[in-house]
Amino acid sequence: MNNTVELKNLHIKAGNTSLVYKTSLIVKEGEIFGLVGESGSGKTLTAKAIINLLPQGLTYTADEIITVGKNMLTASNEEKRDHIGKNVGYIPQNTVFYLHPLIKIKNQIGDGYIQHTHKTKQEALEKAGMLLSKVGFKSPKTILNYYPWQLSGGMRQRCNIAMALMNDPKLIIADEPTTALDTTVQKQVMELFKAINEEMKLSILLISHDLGLVKRYSHSLGVMYAGQIVEAGSASTVFDEPKHPYTQLLIKIIPSLNIKKSEPLTEIPGFVQDKDRDSQGCLFYNRCPKAMDICRVKVREHMKEDHYYRCNLE
Amino acid sequence: MLSYVLDRLKSSLVVLFVVSIITFFVLMIIPGNPAQLILGTDATPEAIAELSSAMGLDKPLYQRYLSWLLDLLKLDMGKSYVYGESVTSLIARSIPVTFSIAIFAMTMAVIIAFLFGMLSAIKKNSIIDYFSRSIMQLGTAIPSFWIGMVLIVYFGVKLKILPVSGFVPIERGFAHFIKSIFLPSLVLAIGEVGTLLRIVRSSMLDSLKQDYMDMARVKGLGWGKIYIKYALRGALTAPLTIIGMQLAKLAGGTTVVETIFALPGLGRLVLTAVEHRDIVLLQGLVMFITSTVVFVTLIVDILVMLFNPRIKSFHQGE
Amino acid sequence: MKKNISLILGIILVFIILGIWVLSFVRMPYNPNEMNISNRFLGPGLDRDHVLGTDNFGRDILSRIMYGSRNVLLVALVSVTLGSLVGIFLGALAAILKGPVEKIIMRIMDGLMAFPGILLAMMLVAVLERGIKDSIAAISIFMVPVFSRLVYSMILDTENLLYIKAAKSYGSSKKQIFFKHYIPAMLPRLITQFSSSMGSAVMIETSLSFLGLGIQPPYASWGLMLSESRQFFLNYPYLAVAPGIAIIITILGFNLIGDGLNDILINRGSNHE
Repeated sequence: MNNTVELKNLHIKAGNTSLVYKTSLIVKEGEIFGLVGESGSGKTLTAKAIINLLPQGLTYTADEIITVGKNMLTASNEEKRDHIGKNVGYIPQNTVFYLHPLIKIKNQIGDGYIQHTHKTKQEALEKAGMLLSKVGFKSPKTILNYYPWQLSGGMRQRCNIAMALMNDPKLIIADEPTTALDTTVQKQVMELFKAINEEMKLSILLISHDLGLVKRYSHSLGVMYAGQIVEAGSASTVFDEPKHPYTQLLIKIIPSLNIKKSEPLTEIPGFVQDKDRDSQGCLFYNRCPKAMDICRVKVREHMKEDHYYRCNLE
Repeated sequence: MLSYVLDRLKSSLVVLFVVSIITFFVLMIIPGNPAQLILGTDATPEAIAELSSAMGLDKPLYQRYLSWLLDLLKLDMGKSYVYGESVTSLIARSIPVTFSIAIFAMTMAVIIAFLFGMLSAIKKNSIIDYFSRSIMQLGTAIPSFWIGMVLIVYFGVKLKILPVSGFVPIERGFAHFIKSIFLPSLVLAIGEVGTLLRIVRSSMLDSLKQDYMDMARVKGLGWGKIYIKYALRGALTAPLTIIGMQLAKLAGGTTVVETIFALPGLGRLVLTAVEHRDIVLLQGLVMFITSTVVFVTLIVDILVMLFNPRIKSFHQGE
Repeated sequence: MKKNISLILGIILVFIILGIWVLSFVRMPYNPNEMNISNRFLGPGLDRDHVLGTDNFGRDILSRIMYGSRNVLLVALVSVTLGSLVGIFLGALAAILKGPVEKIIMRIMDGLMAFPGILLAMMLVAVLERGIKDSIAAISIFMVPVFSRLVYSMILDTENLLYIKAAKSYGSSKKQIFFKHYIPAMLPRLITQFSSSMGSAVMIETSLSFLGLGIQPPYASWGLMLSESRQFFLNYPYLAVAPGIAIIITILGFNLIGDGLNDILINRGSNHE
């Protein structure tokens, strides 16, 4: 398998409302794939669907979900859990309660490792110590004895990264890894991801609302809007020749976007819609400066040498 | 941390002080001269006067209170009218009975409440959940004396497998001991399980919503680890506090059960004291029971604080 | 709508008991105190004269249940009302006056709450006589601390809310603020607590009369009926069924109303997710 993740036509629903529709992406082995979009565009849900972590109450269908070689649509729950535990590391958006506040770092960092490799606690702690230095801690032994609330946000994030690496995963999913951090730490963390990717050749699905960040660190990227991928391709291609009006506008507003769903984009009037995300027309229609009448009813998909986009324009 | 403990200790002592005032002064309102009660209706006035002065009944109220309080601290609670024995020894004899059923009852309640509380939180809205919620409601509405009578008839008489009265101390054999306290403890447990189950269930529901559950799942841990190491650990603070409160409450609330099952515990003493207006006995009993309540509550508060490392270190600097 | 099952069920149950209560004034099948030794220990049966049977003195059980409802409900209602009024007053006093008054009142409440279960009620009954008035007095006192603590903490919480501070700053009179803001905020919780306390009051009253410390003959109470039936229960189990069920329905009804109201008014509904 050359591709770490193959996702085709994902459709996520909460009751009757569609949240993510017709979303497909491919993460190649050893590459960093950036998934960009505003809050509420469905990036986190898409990632969670790939690793069987969607909250109860949401339903999903897809033509294909193959994660690190396993068909997630046909595997049993047991198999899925086991496979993800062994092969995927997940670094979530919100660090505060992700690590259990009542358990010391040393008692939670290694339990997945022990479960899957059947090694002893001692060996787990050794590996944890090693990984903690790798992510930049000068005294891993002290960190291991701490409770999560004794660490700063950046330190917790780095612990999460170390924890995700314990099983030598083939895929890391990093959801907004830099949002809660200050700029110096942000750079540290991103450089760390880059180093891990290059050294260990593991694939990273990087989720962010920051197009600039994604452009700098990803090999390929996908732009999501209102639950759909509107443009995808290699980072340089998409950036140098953006075909979708949304992407074009996003690029104009760099260096960073820090916009919430209900506030309009600085230069784009209108709001991201919650409803009717599964309509056949273009969801960007009412905010697109280049919209045409036909965009309301139909959208064309283009696939040109690895550059994908959904737009009726050429 | 020491200062936190001392602070709580101080509050507890204040509460006990208030309790002692309430106890002493409320029970002083009883019409009738205690000396007369002891000597009976055909005692001569001189005899009554003599006993009154010997008992210190002619001194001003606050003086009597203070001497009573001082005696209390020396663990001298006076002599009971009804039994003619020292209150202290009566209480000492009854403690094992009451504490046994209270602790056994709490153990049963904890096991059932945690088992069903966790299951019903994990499988919300399933049959187990509805069943648990019914237990919650019924448990607190069923009067202990009624269910006690029903259980006596069923298990004691019809099936003849458990004794329906009397207390067998532990020295005479563990199995007999347990059999003698099983039914009364069960009755007490039924009364407490509802509240506890509710708390366990709602704490578990909150804990299951937390982000660390995602982490446990994505690591592929088995369900034992997920639900016990992660979910339950985050759900213990409220239940532990409640367990403490319930245990304390049970210490003083066993009268009905002890009456039905003929157990010679503190509750039965209280009833006798009330029926015969044995003030001295009642004062001693009430002070002892409430002190136990306050003390247990204090211990539980401190334990809960120690158990939660965040709060513990917050206080550690003191 | 699922949240309302509690409330609806509770209301139905309480209505059943209220119905029995009302009927007791209109028409009881027999005189509840009329003894008829030749008719004692008749079993229950829908087709018989005595639908629920007779007790050891030949008294009709159904009539005694109806008659007993009067006193049980009377004692419960009056005690909770008295206790809540006194408690609310003292709690409000403590929260508004603050200072030493606050400390004293709250310490007394803490002291009262340290008495577990029915111990306080029993102690008070020892001092007073036994009977309806004394049960009411004892149970009322038992109810005071709960309400005073509740009102005390609610007032303090509400005081700190920003919109109250805003109202004060633009000069609304204290009275205005009190009635327009505080009371609406506190009323739901108070009503809920009232209902739950009714359940507790019934439980305590029946326990007291079971122990012989509460309502006395010639009045009837369900607890008293149960204690009278104790000796004969082994041979005639039906004696305990009716009073037990009456008690359970009443307490369950009030508790369910309290819970149902709690879910709706407080709007958290965590028990019904």
